Order: sequence, then C-alpha cells, then structure tokens
Amino acid sequence: MEQQRVRVLLIEDDPDYAMLMSTYINEACGDALKYLLETSSSLQSGLDLLSRQEYDIVLLDLMLPDSQGLDTLVKIRGKAPSLPVVVLTNLDNDKAGLEAITHGAQDFLSKSKLDAGRLRHSIGFALGRDRLFRQMEKLVDGSPDGMVIVDRSRMVRYANAAALGLFDRKWEQFVGHLFDYELTPDRSVELKLPEADGEERLAEMRVAEIEWKGYPAWVATVRDQSELKKLERVRAEVRERRHTDQLKDQLLSTVAHELRTPLSVVKAVVGILRDHLAGPMTEEQTRLVTTADRHISRLTRLLNNFLDLTRLESRRARVTRQPLDPLELIQEVTEGVRMANRGRPVAIDVDLPQTLPSVNVDADMIAQVLGNLLDNALRFARSSVSVRAVAGEDSVEISVVDDGPGIPAEKLADLFNKFVQLDRAKGGDGYKGTGLGLAISREIMTLNGGRIWAGNAPVRGACFRFTLPLTPKSADVPVEEDSHAQARS
Amino acid sequence: MLKPEVKKVLIVDDERDLVEPLRLRLQASGRYEVAVAYDGADGLERAGQFLPDVALIDLSMPGLDGWHLCRRLRKDSRTRRTKVIIMTAWLSPDLGKRALAEGVTQLLLKPFEEADLLHALEAEFAAVKVCAGGKAS
Repeated sequence: MEQQRVRVLLIEDDPDYAMLMSTYINEACGDALKYLLETSSSLQSGLDLLSRQEYDIVLLDLMLPDSQGLDTLVKIRGKAPSLPVVVLTNLDNDKAGLEAITHGAQDFLSKSKLDAGRLRHSIGFALGRDRLFRQMEKLVDGSPDGMVIVDRSRMVRYANAAALGLFDRKWEQFVGHLFDYELTPDRSVELKLPEADGEERLAEMRVAEIEWKGYPAWVATVRDQSELKKLERVRAEVRERRHTDQLKDQLLSTVAHELRTPLSVVKAVVGILRDHLAGPMTEEQTRLVTTADRHISRLTRLLNNFLDLTRLESRRARVTRQPLDPLELIQEVTEGVRMANRGRPVAIDVDLPQTLPSVNVDADMIAQVLGNLLDNALRFARSSVSVRAVAGEDSVEISVVDDGPGIPAEKLADLFNKFVQLDRAKGGDGYKGTGLGLAISREIMTLNGGRIWAGNAPVRGACFRFTLPLTPKSADVPVEEDSHAQARS
Repeated sequence: MLKPEVKKVLIVDDERDLVEPLRLRLQASGRYEVAVAYDGADGLERAGQFLPDVALIDLSMPGLDGWHLCRRLRKDSRTRRTKVIIMTAWLSPDLGKRALAEGVTQLLLKPFEEADLLHALEAEFAAVKVCAGGKAS
C-alpha cells in the first residue's frame, strides 16, 4: 500500500507552540500516513511559502505579528482559495472559530485544549470536509445548467461556470454584485440573456429557497433555451408554410374544378357548330371552329392532368394493382397512339421479346405513363420513336427513345418536377404538352412500386425508362375478373 | 331491329347554357326525344309527365340536388324504371362508391366528348349489359 503523505503548512509565531505541534504531528506519523510539516512565523512568510510550494492543509494561527483576526484567514484564502484551513484560536470560547468557518475555514482548534489526538482528528476532518466540499463544487460547477446563489440582499454569492457563461461575466464581475433579475420562487420564468454573436438568447430560470452558509438565500438554476426556441420557431414556420401550401393546393384544385363547367358549355357549343348541327358554315368558319375545338381539347387535357396530379399527390387516387402481361399493355397503348397520330411522318418502332413475365401494376395508370412518354417522344422525334422492353431480376424495364434534340444535361434532374416544363424545341404541328405529364408519371410509378428516369440516347434523342415490378411468384394469379370497375370519364 | 325506336331522354341541369347544346346534339342523332329541366324540383315534375327512359342529371343543383332527385325518381312508381346518368364537374374520391350505392352505373365527367355522351346512352339501352370496360361499348 502506498504511503499517503499530507503536506502541512503551520503558520504560528510562537516558537514553543510550533515545537509542540511538530511533536504531535510526528507522533501521528504511521505506516499508512506521513505528515510533512513546514512552519512559518508570519503571514508574509506563510504567503511566500504558499506561492512557492504545494500543501494539502494549512494550520493557521489568526494572531500573527503582521496580521490579526479573521483578516489573516481572508488573506490566506485569497492566496490559496482551494486549500483547506484549520484555524488555531487562543480564546476558550468558540465564537472566533465558528466565525472562521463561515469564512471558509474547514475547522478550528483551541490552543488551550490541544493534544495529539485532537490535532490529528482535526486535520483528518478538515481534509475530509474539504474533499466533500470540492466534490460538491465539481458537481455544481460541472452542471450544464447555470446555478446562482443570491442572498436576501440580492447579492450574488456564488455562480457556477455555466452561469458565468450564460450571463457572460467573469466571477469577479458577477459574484459580490447585485443580481439584476426578478426572483420568483417556485415558478419558471423566461430570461433574456446578454446577446452572443448578435443573437438574442433566452433562458428558463427556476428559483428555490435554500440556506447558504447559515443564511437564507435563493438558488436560481438557469437553462439556455435558445436552441430549443430556435427549433420551435423553425417548426412553427414549417407548419405555417405547409398550411399555406395546402390552402394553395386547395384553391388551385377548386379553380380547376370550377373551370370545368364553363369549359363543358364551350365544348358542347363548339361541337354543335363544328358538326354543322346549328346550320351550315363556310369553309373558313369551319376551319376557325375546328381550331377552337382543338384548343378546348388542350385546355381539357391541361385541367385533367392538373387534377390527376393533385389526386395522385394527395394519395387519394385508388390504385388497383393486378397481375398483367406487359406485352399486351404495350401493344394496346402503342396501337392507340399510332391511330391517333396517323398521317404524321414519325414511325413508332416497337420491338419486343416473345414473352415477358407478368407484372403487378394498375393497368390504367401504367397505360397513362406509357401514353405520356409516347406523346412526348412523338412531339420531339425527327423521324422515329422506338419502344423496347426487357425483363430484369425483379422488374420489367420499358424504354421509349426518340431521335429528337435530346435533353440538356442540366435539365435532367428537374425533368419530373411539376414546376418545370422543359423548353425543348416544339414539334411542328402545334400540339403542346401540359407540362404535367412527367410529374404525373413519376407519381404513378411511385404508387405502383416502379421507377422512372430519363437520359439521352447514345447517338441522339431523349431516352425515358421505367420499371414495372414483377408479380410475386408465390401469389396465385387470379382469374381475370371485372378489372375495370371504374366509371368511364 | 331495323329501325331503332325513339327513346325519351330528360336532361336536368341548372346550367342552361349546357342544356341547350346537349339537347341539340341528342335531337340531331335522330334517336332521342328530349325534354329539359333546369333544377331538381322542375326535373322531378317533368319526369312525372314525360316518363323518360333515361334521365341525364347534373349532380350539383340548387334545392333538390342530383342524388336526391335520383332517389325521388326511384320512389315514384311512374319513374322507378327510369335509368339515371350523372353528370358532374367535381370528381370526388367517393363519387364512384356513391354512384353504385344509388344504383347509377354511369358517370360523365364534365367536360365530356359528344361520343362519350352517346356511348353512355347507348349502353343504357343495350339489351345485354356489357361489363363497362376499355373495349366494351
């Protein structure tokens, strides 16, 4: 076992007494404990020793040639605030000793009653008390919450490191000064702290009544809430923005719906004129009405696309996923698009494998995606659009490639964003897209467990690909049932 | 049947400007005799006199709305067999479910193509109901 050494500094001007103490202390040395004693006979020489060497404890006579009374203690504590002190008193009454303890001494000994046992005991007690005190101080000082002790005259008596940080003061600027905040016990209050880096800081303060060094006082715990408040503000902002967004979406949806009624009137009326049901028209008149009719269709498409997208995004769309043969779907859609584009000089080249595995998707939705991609491709193609399909491990990948101008690299990332309409050179026939087709397609693919992406073909033109998840092998393929229960529109 | 018999269609919509071209369109086909009404109550009364085969009813109308009119027609012994096609500009999520519950099998979303209107009417008169599907009409 290592021998514990206690370095004692005795400050005592009476040489006889110092000798006596030395004897007592040496008597007390044992196997486990060894005292190393040094003596000085005045406050000044004591202070000099303290600045040169380290000690574990000071035994201090308060009545020295160069200093008397409590002042002696205060000066020693000022020099070595963390060193435990045992005060030696000449008087028989304990008043001076008790007073010394309230000023930071750990213990006191009356010289007249001194013996070896008492001295040893007092040193041990002072060291133990000091250790305990230090531990508590560490606990308080290490706390991330600020702690401030304020006495009844509103003077700050103690502040831990966190409190000094929060109030942005040094110890000597804070302790011993008036505490300039309202103290309301048992209630949590909000404090404005001094700004740091130009940012306002807020703290929460709670106050409790305690006893401090024998006197009634308050302890205020202060917790920095700046981060929390900032977070709350951001959260509120996000909530508000989301709400505004919802209102905007609602408004747009309402407007789109409201437009449908007048549009239906215009469409029906123009249809009557176009079909000469309200009497014959000149060739010129017919041509103009046909133009109007075409633009009504475009407007209708735009509205429908917009409402489709709104419905898809709000997840209100009903998705009916069923096993189906992708070959059938591709052929059906391409045939429809081919029919609608008769007479145009662009060829749709479909080259598919003999068989493809069954995929599990909503047929109408996927038909819409493929239709969108084909429409797009036809708009930009110079002479041909090719459609291909290939089976992968867990999906079938379908590609639509045109031989048009392609997509600028910097636009690729935003292509599926509803707020972006690609500004590619338009096709010659004046057909214009709604700008929502790709956004709709992406939403549909998400709902169907597939992916969609775009790139440029190696030679030239744009290339769109999407995947359809395979029908799980274990699942029984249901007999074809009424798969199109939706109302026609 | 060589010559299709003329069927009676009642159009009920508070949007008078739409009723007019619809009437013209149906009359021009030569297959329908058309009556019109401009709100639910008016439609109910006209239906009682006209006894239509099909009522083409707008959903949102002041007073008696499309669904209510539909129900009233069913309750009246004279119009119990009248078939109903609903027209609406509002595609709400529960529209299909509601239609089925009311015994309505066809919805026309405004604006609709003339062809869709004619197909919907023909489907109501088809001797054998075809499952409404992409290819069926």
